[in-house]
Amino acid sequence: MTGSMDELARILDQIGNTSSRNRKVSLLAVWIRTQTDADLMRAVRFMSGQPVSGVAERKLSIGRSILQEAALLATGIDAELFRFCRGEVGDTSETISLLLHGKTANLPLSLEAAESCYMRLFASRKAADKTSLLAEVLARQTALTTKYFLKVITGSFRIGLQQKLVEDAIAQATGESLVNVRAAANRSGDLAEVAVCARRKLLHTLEARLFHPLEFMLARPLDEMAELPAATEWFVEDKFDGIRSQVHFDSGKVRIFTRGLEDTTDAFPEIVSAFSSVRGSGIVDGELLAWQNERALNFTVLQKRVARKKVSDKLMAEVPVTFIGYDLLYRDKELLLDMPIEGRRQRLELLFEGAPSQLLISAQRRVDPEEDIESSFLAARARGNEGLLLKRTGSLYESGRRSASWLKVKRAYASLDVVVTAAEQGSGRRATMLSDYTFAVRDGERFLNVGKAYSGLTDDEIRELTKIFRSIAKERYGKVTLVEPQVVLEVAFDGLQKSPRHKSGFALRFPRIIRWRKDKKAEDADTLDHVKELYERSLTQ
Amino acid sequence: MDLQYSPEGIYVREIDLWLDPQVSKPAAWISHAHSDHARYYSQTVIGTTTTLEIYRMRWPVGDDRSQSLEPLDYGQSRDWNGSRITCYPAGHILGAAQVLIEYKNERVVYAGDIKLRKPLCGQPTEVIECDRLIIESTFGLPIFHFLSSEEARLEIAGFALECLQDGATPVFMGYPLGRGQEIVQCLTQAGIPTAVHGAIAKYIPVYEEHGYSFPGWKAYDSKQIEGQALVVVPGMRRQLESAGNNMRVAYVSGWARMDNARLRSGAEKLIPYSDHGGFDELLEMVERSGAKKIDVVHGYTELFARQLRDRGFDASAPASARVRNSEEESMQAE
Repeated sequence: MTGSMDELARILDQIGNTSSRNRKVSLLAVWIRTQTDADLMRAVRFMSGQPVSGVAERKLSIGRSILQEAALLATGIDAELFRFCRGEVGDTSETISLLLHGKTANLPLSLEAAESCYMRLFASRKAADKTSLLAEVLARQTALTTKYFLKVITGSFRIGLQQKLVEDAIAQATGESLVNVRAAANRSGDLAEVAVCARRKLLHTLEARLFHPLEFMLARPLDEMAELPAATEWFVEDKFDGIRSQVHFDSGKVRIFTRGLEDTTDAFPEIVSAFSSVRGSGIVDGELLAWQNERALNFTVLQKRVARKKVSDKLMAEVPVTFIGYDLLYRDKELLLDMPIEGRRQRLELLFEGAPSQLLISAQRRVDPEEDIESSFLAARARGNEGLLLKRTGSLYESGRRSASWLKVKRAYASLDVVVTAAEQGSGRRATMLSDYTFAVRDGERFLNVGKAYSGLTDDEIRELTKIFRSIAKERYGKVTLVEPQVVLEVAFDGLQKSPRHKSGFALRFPRIIRWRKDKKAEDADTLDHVKELYERSLTQ
Repeated sequence: MDLQYSPEGIYVREIDLWLDPQVSKPAAWISHAHSDHARYYSQTVIGTTTTLEIYRMRWPVGDDRSQSLEPLDYGQSRDWNGSRITCYPAGHILGAAQVLIEYKNERVVYAGDIKLRKPLCGQPTEVIECDRLIIESTFGLPIFHFLSSEEARLEIAGFALECLQDGATPVFMGYPLGRGQEIVQCLTQAGIPTAVHGAIAKYIPVYEEHGYSFPGWKAYDSKQIEGQALVVVPGMRRQLESAGNNMRVAYVSGWARMDNARLRSGAEKLIPYSDHGGFDELLEMVERSGAKKIDVVHGYTELFARQLRDRGFDASAPASARVRNSEEESMQAE
């Protein structure tokens, strides 16, 4: 039996119509069980925004204008009306699907046929050919199928249907543990292959692939030095205030990925050029920093270099960037995640020997039993860095985990990563912007407010945030807009107090927004338990 | 006829009659009892018996005010200042009506809020031949097409049963008049225990008078949530959710046609059913009426009028017609 794209569309529609994660997962898992290997791979690829094996959705070169032209051909409406409708709906695929209602031949579409449609779209070179091909497809299949068929092309799938949901469903459908499925997906980066291997109990055979980002290992916050257990079992390094990144290289080819697993290669040509001279292949974990006179410049300086497709020589001279390496995850076909830190460090040092000047290695030493970590922390601060990072001796690289083997010491009093839940219109110069934010910490799947602050961000950032908040607005009460919990801010504060006003039961004293953590998602925000701990501790001091 | 459009309503000058005025006038036709059509105290108010009954519940009078309510039911005609006015059913909410005004060889129909699909409760729309049609366009974009009443009935009952089987409480948001009672009717007719918020429950007797039955419905009680479906007004969702109940919320509305309604309404289940017509229904009404001139008075007026002009009708969107949002639309901002 051949798998049906129509049925996949129906399942995805049901998934959209339920908010329970468990139900979403089991709907998908039940469907997965009935599919052949080939169809399972196709479907998983579609759901990861990969219409054709090895071809990301953007490679199809089908932008808004081709979609719009094809939709106009298939529906017979005019461009002005189309644009207005899209404005109301907010999503191009959905708009086209709604406009096609009652205008299609409703012929069935198999997953295999869907894939060959994508292949033909990929293969046709001229925009006009793509348009007429797409218009034919739109007129043939059902409107509901079209909604999801197009979401694969537009990439909205990649964002909307989280990879983790698909991983969960694969685990549930195959009886493999979620940990194994995730680890395999992390290693290989090819979820379609993972799905089939999980079914055949062959996950262990999947190997790491270069140029696909691995999940980062994260550190837990340590708020008081006195808490450090068994001081001698730790290495200590400075914690840098830059962009955490992962560099993949293989004989001249280089890619740089950020913590959000986004490819940021184009923004840092000098780092690319430095790594292209390193022999062999490898994956290095480290930090991108704006760097001058042997020290890191403020993060706000580095921000000028972020998310650029092209960097001028002038900007490169103005904001010189350095990469500080602190871990080695892969070297010459060998995955090193399970090698103890000491071995990884040794190989990292070998790798960086004689490397170009843009590549530095983070200074690491064993914590001295007599050492006063408080003064080490202050020394790191004096060097312009954020604080300290402590790494347990003998520890492994726990990809994707916030592990107790890495501890970060950031500030004298803690700052928190919080999620914005509501934004309020400012006044005066900021009257047209959403500039006052109410924010929350995480408690399981809920987000509970802990405070509110006027933005300490730049006008540009506030403008950008305002756009985002409008797009994720849930409800509006006068000047206050409730938003989906998505945007993470780092907030500093002077203390904690109990508060009946906030649902969390706590309020931050004098909170101020330090910066927008674009690299973090809501699930990375600090937890209510962490706030409780901070509070308890403040009572005993 | 000289039809004058202003934020105060539509005025038919020759016969001194206001259509759904927004302020008190000497004489008014009210098409149905939603608050944006039937409001304040015109001296003479003409509408169906049902509409007038609900209007009186919403706009009661004391001894200090005299007001003449003059029923005109489906199929009935009367003279009015030298014209002949006739009432026809409009498939919108219970009691909703269109009015045909005949004056000196011209036939003008004011449709009020309307759909062509058979309503869950109330009479189906009758399309009246006329020279000039005044029609709404709340959902006058080609993206809007809605479930039939039978499909909606199945979706509503199906969702409720699925939730109850999973041990969750199904919650339906409905505006107080029309949608609310229709949802209760679908649920109770399917044998599902249903608790109804007071703002919705208060009109159930009116529906019962018209022969609709709601077997076993109970008044909503915040202490008794589980094991039944809840039909509440939109503003209650946050209150119910913050009480930590295991609930699943459905949104039955024309706006539920778009996925972004999930964000706006806070519901997980979208049931695209409306008391207003979808694009094709409005178009069909216009075509079947035979009207040469079309006035589009509400919603996407400019865009819908343009669509009609593209199809050869003399259609326009009079400026400043109807400024208030309908009850249903106001849910969006909630």
